[in-house]
Amino acid sequence: MKLHLQRDSLMSAVAWAARTLPGRPTQPILAGLRLATTEGFVSLSSFDREVSSVAELATDAVAEQVVILPGRLLADIVKALPHDDVLLEWEGTRATIRSGKVSFSLPTLPAEEYPPLPADPQPIGVIPGADLARCVTQVAIASGKDESLVMLTGIRVEIDGPTMTMAATDRYRLAVQEVAWRCDDDTRQTNLLIPARTLVDVSRSMGQAGDVTIGLAGDAGAERLIGFSAQGRRSTSRLLDAEFPKYRSLLPTESTTEATMATTAVLEAVRRVSIVAERTTPVRCSFAGGELSMRAGSGDDATAEESVEISLAGDPIEIAFNPGFLIDGLAALGTAEVTMAFTEPRKPMVMTSEQAGAYRYLLMPIRLTG
Amino acid sequence: MRLLIARCRVDYAGRLAAVLPEAVRLILIKADGSVCVHADDRAYKPLNWMNPPCTLREEAGPAGERILRVDSPRGEGLTITVSEVLHDSSHDLGVEPGSTKDGVEAELQRLLAEQPEVLGAGLRLIRREHPTAIGPVDLLLRDAVGVVAVEVKRHAGIDGVEQLTRYLELLNRDPILAPVRGVLAAQQVRPQARTLAGERGIACIVVDYAALRDADEPGDRLF
Repeated sequence: MKLHLQRDSLMSAVAWAARTLPGRPTQPILAGLRLATTEGFVSLSSFDREVSSVAELATDAVAEQVVILPGRLLADIVKALPHDDVLLEWEGTRATIRSGKVSFSLPTLPAEEYPPLPADPQPIGVIPGADLARCVTQVAIASGKDESLVMLTGIRVEIDGPTMTMAATDRYRLAVQEVAWRCDDDTRQTNLLIPARTLVDVSRSMGQAGDVTIGLAGDAGAERLIGFSAQGRRSTSRLLDAEFPKYRSLLPTESTTEATMATTAVLEAVRRVSIVAERTTPVRCSFAGGELSMRAGSGDDATAEESVEISLAGDPIEIAFNPGFLIDGLAALGTAEVTMAFTEPRKPMVMTSEQAGAYRYLLMPIRLTG
Repeated sequence: MRLLIARCRVDYAGRLAAVLPEAVRLILIKADGSVCVHADDRAYKPLNWMNPPCTLREEAGPAGERILRVDSPRGEGLTITVSEVLHDSSHDLGVEPGSTKDGVEAELQRLLAEQPEVLGAGLRLIRREHPTAIGPVDLLLRDAVGVVAVEVKRHAGIDGVEQLTRYLELLNRDPILAPVRGVLAAQQVRPQARTLAGERGIACIVVDYAALRDADEPGDRLF
């Protein structure tokens, strides 16, 4: 089989498909990138048994054929090709890539050993890529990294007809956001737990892709697989089979103190004072009058102080936070103003913004000793 | 995974030549390409094996016997001449979920770095992964008495003690650090390791991963 391809489109297709090549494959064949031709098209894919990625390209293929090429090697070669026109050819156990005056010959891998790719899930709705990416980015910051608490390494996605709610928590913070989408059935109700790493990766890659179609496979209420597709790019991921904590009861319904301030000003201030704070030491925040004053560091060690103008409603409060967690939330908001709501120094703070829709970032304070 | 029980002769050629005369053996052919020849003893240890990558070819010999040729790019070759097949079956084992111990060990190290007092009152962290000429020491701590080198393991065995002993020997040559004491911190310490450690003046401390992870009071978390 001989395919004439254009370098830049090949490069982006290979880059998409190679994203999910397993670093340490459980079977050697999974280190291969699978190329499958049909008349007029070639699809490039990888699969690590959890996540699959497929990219389609128009080309001059004339028949159906499958060839498996060493994935990382192919990705490296394609990135380095000198000329716009690329000829990809294979016969038996060798494949050749030519571009300009360079020619690469690689061994093919045994196609019959490659496991079948998961079937494309049934489409259930469409969401603009930018909305998906924004929502995922805002929520994913709170997801857990500890693999021994599997249910926290996922993003909970609740589909309630035209509203999609995403939530993630690592037990110290909780991020929740809602996003509107076009669901095929306004009465559809499903709850999914998607590995956070995969969802972040897919949504980031599809952020500029216009509309993203979401599909599900498996029985209703017990879905096994989620699929994303946009502009000739597809990805599927296995869903996590674990119980996400009942988080709604954690969201406070009232507050005694509300402080509103410019997001950038407070974000920069936290970043500055936290230079002297070690990873787990708090930034102390005092909300009083028209001012939020922050302090970090203590005793003989380095210390820092900075204050930011705020508009305060309710009782003044002294409270302390993990600076990293505070920065995550403020950076994820992406709005001009932020409102922080409190009840007590030992109860979670809720970060919201009028311009960020239903977004809520709950953050547990650090207990102050002495 | 293919299981082959056969009366066979095995010829190995590579770094040396070895022959296993004809006998009944279990031949494991794994999906990663590896081939192991097992006898009915010595637990997990095969009589002979080929590590991946290697290629397996099956052909018929001159007298109708089956010959399995396993070749590796390192120039090694295993030739299995099968005179009688007693069992031959293949099974798809699917994906091995694998053990997550590396992650746990790293996590254990991180948690102990944050809570060094678990290993002894008054201990403070100097640094994690303290580099030495023979590898990094997991944790280097200090208290009023001196410096403490900590080796973190999930299951501490004799090799963990040996490893720590080597570090201590090296660290104690440094006049600024010496005297350095040793602590072996593990979720589980094997009896031989405990004995050997005691012999060498190394303390063994059993740590509870779940307790370390949830060391903060429940009131410090959302749930």
